[in-house]
Amino acid sequence: MEEPSEAGQLYAPCVVACPVHTDTRQLAELISLGEYEQALELLLEANPFSSVCGRICHHPCEQNCRRAKVDAPVGLMRLKRFVVEATRDYRISRRKKLTPPHEKNAKIAVVGSGPSGLTAAYDLVKMGLPVTVFERSETPGGLLGHAIPRYRLPYSVVQEDIEDILSAGVQLRTGLVIGRDYSIDDLFEQGYRAVLLATGLSESRTLNIPGIDSRGILLALPFLKSVLSPKPPTMGKRVAVIGGGNVAIDVARSARRLGAERVNMVCLEAPEEMPAWKWEIEEAEDEGIFIMNSWGPKSVFSENGFVRGLELKKCTAVFDADGRFNPRFDDSDTATVSADNVIIAIGQRGDLTCVRGSSLELSPGEKLQCDPETLSTTRNGVFVCGELLIGPASSVEAVRDGHRAAKAIAHYVDSGDLLKQPFMELPALCELPDETAEKIKKQTPVTVELLSPELRLKAFSEVEQGFTEKEALAESKRCLACTTGALADEEKCAACLTCVRICPFGVATIEKTAIMPEEKCQACGLCAAECPAAAIALKRYGTNQMREQLQGVLSGMTPKKVPSPLIISYCCLFEVTSRGFIAEKAAEYRRSGVYSILVPCVARLSVPDILSPFELGADGLTIIGCTNGQCLYPTAEERLLRRIRQAKKVLVEVGVEGERIDYWKTEGSAEVSWTSFWEISRRKLLQINRGMMRHDSSREKTAQ
Amino acid sequence: MIVAERKPLSEIKSFIENYKKILIVGCGTCATVCLAGGESEVKVVASGMRIGFLKEDREVEILEDCITRQCEPEFVTPLVERVKNEGVEAVLSLGCGVGVNFLADKLESVPVFPGVNTEFFGAAIEPGVWVEMCAGCGNCILHLTGGICPIARCSKSILNGPCGGSQDGKCEISPDVDCGWNLIVERMKKMGTLHRLEEIVPPRDWSTSRHGGPRRVVHEELVTQPEAEATG
Repeated sequence: MEEPSEAGQLYAPCVVACPVHTDTRQLAELISLGEYEQALELLLEANPFSSVCGRICHHPCEQNCRRAKVDAPVGLMRLKRFVVEATRDYRISRRKKLTPPHEKNAKIAVVGSGPSGLTAAYDLVKMGLPVTVFERSETPGGLLGHAIPRYRLPYSVVQEDIEDILSAGVQLRTGLVIGRDYSIDDLFEQGYRAVLLATGLSESRTLNIPGIDSRGILLALPFLKSVLSPKPPTMGKRVAVIGGGNVAIDVARSARRLGAERVNMVCLEAPEEMPAWKWEIEEAEDEGIFIMNSWGPKSVFSENGFVRGLELKKCTAVFDADGRFNPRFDDSDTATVSADNVIIAIGQRGDLTCVRGSSLELSPGEKLQCDPETLSTTRNGVFVCGELLIGPASSVEAVRDGHRAAKAIAHYVDSGDLLKQPFMELPALCELPDETAEKIKKQTPVTVELLSPELRLKAFSEVEQGFTEKEALAESKRCLACTTGALADEEKCAACLTCVRICPFGVATIEKTAIMPEEKCQACGLCAAECPAAAIALKRYGTNQMREQLQGVLSGMTPKKVPSPLIISYCCLFEVTSRGFIAEKAAEYRRSGVYSILVPCVARLSVPDILSPFELGADGLTIIGCTNGQCLYPTAEERLLRRIRQAKKVLVEVGVEGERIDYWKTEGSAEVSWTSFWEISRRKLLQINRGMMRHDSSREKTAQ
Repeated sequence: MIVAERKPLSEIKSFIENYKKILIVGCGTCATVCLAGGESEVKVVASGMRIGFLKEDREVEILEDCITRQCEPEFVTPLVERVKNEGVEAVLSLGCGVGVNFLADKLESVPVFPGVNTEFFGAAIEPGVWVEMCAGCGNCILHLTGGICPIARCSKSILNGPCGGSQDGKCEISPDVDCGWNLIVERMKKMGTLHRLEEIVPPRDWSTSRHGGPRRVVHEELVTQPEAEATG
């Protein structure tokens, strides 16, 4: 998803908020339709690190979800995780089919195998440019694999994503340090056309306070790395962590798991100013971590060279009037905290080893000179991406940067020029109006239980399990399908006011012709079903798809093969709790003559939709709606019943029995009740002229 | 608005069942608004016909179309072309009677069957309910009767007050029909103009309505003039 494809087109806010513009709106739809493999393809196209982000992303999509005004945002990150977990076999099998296009004659070197570097490498290889990734440690993944604690991100998850990238043909060389084993100049001499520095911010900053050289003081990144090693460090009883960001939280929670009895986090920020994600802070506090807000480290006090605690000074302000980080302190307001270990997690900076021995310029303060719009450096052919370029960032932002880097490098290889890529915002659909939000049926969001804090502290096992299929299907149903609503063709619209009168959400109005404001429309389809001019179509789901589906189903059958009687069954998609049911049970029933077609709310069926099956040769139609009280759209069921009556009247007027149309409401779930309904409908139909609508001797032989 | 109602499908079927290729045409204006013959109804009727013929194992090809208005030459011409090019044997129009007439005029030898019964000029007093309000008499006197038409809304089209059959505001033909004159009297009472009903009005000239034969309206400024000297 890139630049807007149509002038004036608006995007769902979740899609806009995602740094790589994953189509989360369509993700929810595909899941509800049971199209898990298609959903995976959609995810991977935007983000090759979908497994990783399905666990640790800070989900700006959810934070912008318009459903929040109704009850709670849709759990998009967990839906993403569900898709990845539900399609493991498919993902493995699709690797074999990833064949890179014809190779171009320009090889690229990428330094660093974190999310930005590997994303860039993947994109470049898919464009036909051979890529070698140089990684200084023994395993790829950068901080994803080497620092993020396993209770948040198991390494197997990281490997899932990296496997795809390596299978596409990216060459990985581990244990090589650029700037030590080869310089950047060496790489050009070896024939690389461009070099991408993606080494991230892999060095922890430290503090310059008295006592900082005492024993027992650790830096965040080396500490986290050692936690992941075969011999994790032992912690003293009391641990103090300096810092208020996500890394500090990771450090504190890891220290607790390693046996620290008392962990205090000391940070400059007040609670609402802390940069760490809210949910991480909550989980940390549940695990018994204490946060001391608005304190800064003054000095370390020690005994026999071993740290015993910290002296703190009150932080009176963190940011100045311009919003810049500029902490002020009150030296007279002090406190102490005792600690056997102090771990410093106050930020990171880039390790510029890679630059050694090359002609790249560093600015004052030891920073790499680079341009965020062109991703270039002072040296032709050397590019930068990821945290090394943009500063501290989330994994999904690193992925976005990787995509940008690949574009920049491909352009450079083609033309020798730099490509300017200004950051462009996609236009987002505006907020959900209050009066619309009130009319939407509330649905309890699916909550996932976290492992209890006591169990969590025993080891580094995952804190939550993610959605089951039933939960994912229920949660995906809560998506409001923003921007996929109704559109009236102004040339056909006769301004008859039918849509205005029947819209359950008060959305449609007439301005010369009918208008359905996008920010209000709930895509229920009632107006489209009843428009006498057939002028309204939904962007999401047109029931003309069904006529095609039906024709597809019936055209494949020769007269002899047509089962007797042939029943078409339109069923409410939202009542399905496992797509296995559709694949197996429904397939079984297909063989005995019941063809089920899932519709997201059967109230969108128009009278022609109800008549089509008979036109195309069916003997009966069974419509199955949702469970009593479950329909998402007010008045929809009553409208459908009226349309069914109309359709029956049409049948009777042309000499066909109206009882050939049957209507049921699901009881419990699809799995529990639908097969009984099909059975009963079929038996009832057999009472009418032996089930068949017309006399056909070739079919009589297959009659039950 | 012209209000029409679809004929029973059995009747429609009897019109077209002996042809092999039929075109059903809807109208995008009045017929759409009163839910009698818009594009959606065309689909329903076409579907119904196909199902009926399928049941009888008859091979009939049914085409569908819908034009903005069936009473306008520019909209009808492409339809005439289509009928000619595709060898359509009969046309079923779901437009009002005007549409059927006009299509038949343009199609000449191809039969045009009516799919709806055209009823009246009326308004929607509530969603789904239309009532007759105008008789198209050509000489409107609504300024004299408080805006309520005695020709359309009085069953006998009396012009000088209610008859003896008016009971409790209802017409003697049915308890569902309001007495038009009762409505007029009540309205003019409210407006304080009831005394005007006592004014003497000369006998009405009915030649402007149906009684005078088929009518015609001409707007000279739009009529295409033969090539003549331009006079400023």
